[in-house]
Amino acid sequence: MSLQYKYNPEIPEVFRCRVPLPGTDQAYLLNGRLRENIKVEGKLELKPQAESGFSVSVYPGAALADTLQIISVRDSNDVDDLRFSNTLSFGKGSESSILLCTHTLSMDEFRTESDIDINLSEGSRANIVVMQNEHNGSSHKMNFNIKQSKDSYLRMNIISLHGAKLGNVVSAALEGEGAVCELNGLYLVDGKQEIATSVNMTHLVPHCHSSQLFKGILDDESKAVFSGLIKVAKDAQKTEAYQANHNLLLSRKAKVYAQPQLEIYADDVKCSHGATSGRLDELALFYMRSRGIGMQEAKLLQQLAFVYDVLEKINNETLRIRLQELVESRLRGEFGQCTNCSMNCC
Amino acid sequence: MLEIKGLRASVEGKEILKGIDFSVKAGEVHAIMGPNGSGKSTLSAVLAGRDHFNVTAGEVRYQGVNLLELAPEERAHMGIFLGFQYPVEIPGVSNVNFMKTAINEKRKFENLPPLTAAEFLKMMREKMAVVEMDSSFSSRGVNVGFSGGEKKRNEIFQMAMLDPKLAILDETDSGLDVDALRIVASGVNKLKTPDNAFIVITHYQRLLDYIVPDIVHVLYDGRIIKTAGKELAMEVETRGYDWLINS
Repeated sequence: MSLQYKYNPEIPEVFRCRVPLPGTDQAYLLNGRLRENIKVEGKLELKPQAESGFSVSVYPGAALADTLQIISVRDSNDVDDLRFSNTLSFGKGSESSILLCTHTLSMDEFRTESDIDINLSEGSRANIVVMQNEHNGSSHKMNFNIKQSKDSYLRMNIISLHGAKLGNVVSAALEGEGAVCELNGLYLVDGKQEIATSVNMTHLVPHCHSSQLFKGILDDESKAVFSGLIKVAKDAQKTEAYQANHNLLLSRKAKVYAQPQLEIYADDVKCSHGATSGRLDELALFYMRSRGIGMQEAKLLQQLAFVYDVLEKINNETLRIRLQELVESRLRGEFGQCTNCSMNCC
Repeated sequence: MLEIKGLRASVEGKEILKGIDFSVKAGEVHAIMGPNGSGKSTLSAVLAGRDHFNVTAGEVRYQGVNLLELAPEERAHMGIFLGFQYPVEIPGVSNVNFMKTAINEKRKFENLPPLTAAEFLKMMREKMAVVEMDSSFSSRGVNVGFSGGEKKRNEIFQMAMLDPKLAILDETDSGLDVDALRIVASGVNKLKTPDNAFIVITHYQRLLDYIVPDIVHVLYDGRIIKTAGKELAMEVETRGYDWLINS
């Protein structure tokens, strides 16, 4: 695969993504408009939709070793409320990885809503990582509409690092037997930030497998909402569906609302759900401090331990390590500068 | 090295330690025995600085300073080590990184530069050998998925790395089979020098076959009710605690 970095000449001057992986094809979406097309012969095509947004087609049978990264940035050239639609289509039997990032390049109070339709054809495998990192006055709601055919596999990790008000609405329909859908999410909020996650996982046919693991760390007066529904249709026997939402509250004023729900119409299924919220563990902190590790560092280690199993689910090792670093610097409070400096995102 | 006078401590309003007095000199091994609920673990946690317990009276001096004023990490920097009865699991934090952080925090306190990667790995290898620990442990999360015996070995390994002056081992023998017990005990014996001291808390005399104490204290209902030489441990083993409690 070609190693083309078709940067928009205007954007890298003020912004350089520090996530990219070796061999990544990178494309920018500026205020919802795609700046460059990418075509890899016989494998994939990234092109703009009519007015705004992008569409990615991974061709049937294509196996892509490298990641396609699409960076959606907003800047002061267009500060109106923005809504745009995107599609990701994975052809029959294809294998690919997509990284979607959101950023803000100026301090305007952006309000963005993006729809992302994700269609997996029979036997396709896709890894999607979403990283959200916007400034403290920016709101972004992302609506993911997932449809999976027979024997398709999707793993999607949503890492919400920063933003005033983030929303992730995931609606997944498992329409073909043998489909597997793994959704994982991590949200880190502080100050007055808010995040709402809503998952609607529908098993329509037998022998599908879904899992959800969403974790969050909340500090100050931040707020998180998690509502998750697993719905198993009458004919969807032998379904396996799991859902977990765990929250770590670092302050007394932080609030979390969790609403896990099951709606099961079949009688031969394995389903579970659970939600917890808790505080830092006093005994674990004491254990670390008794080894000479200071209170701040001990708290940080415990937070890293808490988020570990979500980050572990990012397959690409280079990307996983980079995101672990970003999460660590976020938890160390080093993202504070983002509230003032919009150029220096992560 | 350590002087405890009239130490009282409570948790959630309930008094657990009701006046403890004893002192430990460099080179000594003290054993603290006693039935369940007598306050043994509380005593070790108070000495290491767990703020879950309130010290209500008394004094603890360690190397001439008021120990009770120090944070747990400061006590650790000054050479106090607590081996936990139930070591805590820290997923996602490898043993290597955990120990590197701990060692370098201590070195910072001692005004020493951080160890180089090569120095640190050499030290890890040496100390892992002390407790016959497989090198694959170093990359695993701290205590995650470890068996009971592996966790205790990891405690002794951490102790070897931190090279404390005063090590308090809280029921390090609980849940250990004979082989693990031998490894843990020989680890302790290898680390013993005339300059350091150990307080070994145990239910059973068994551990004291391997780690021979100079002084044995029996703790009951928050007080030390008997102090004697190593023969006291034997006597407890054969006669139980009742004769001491009722005397």
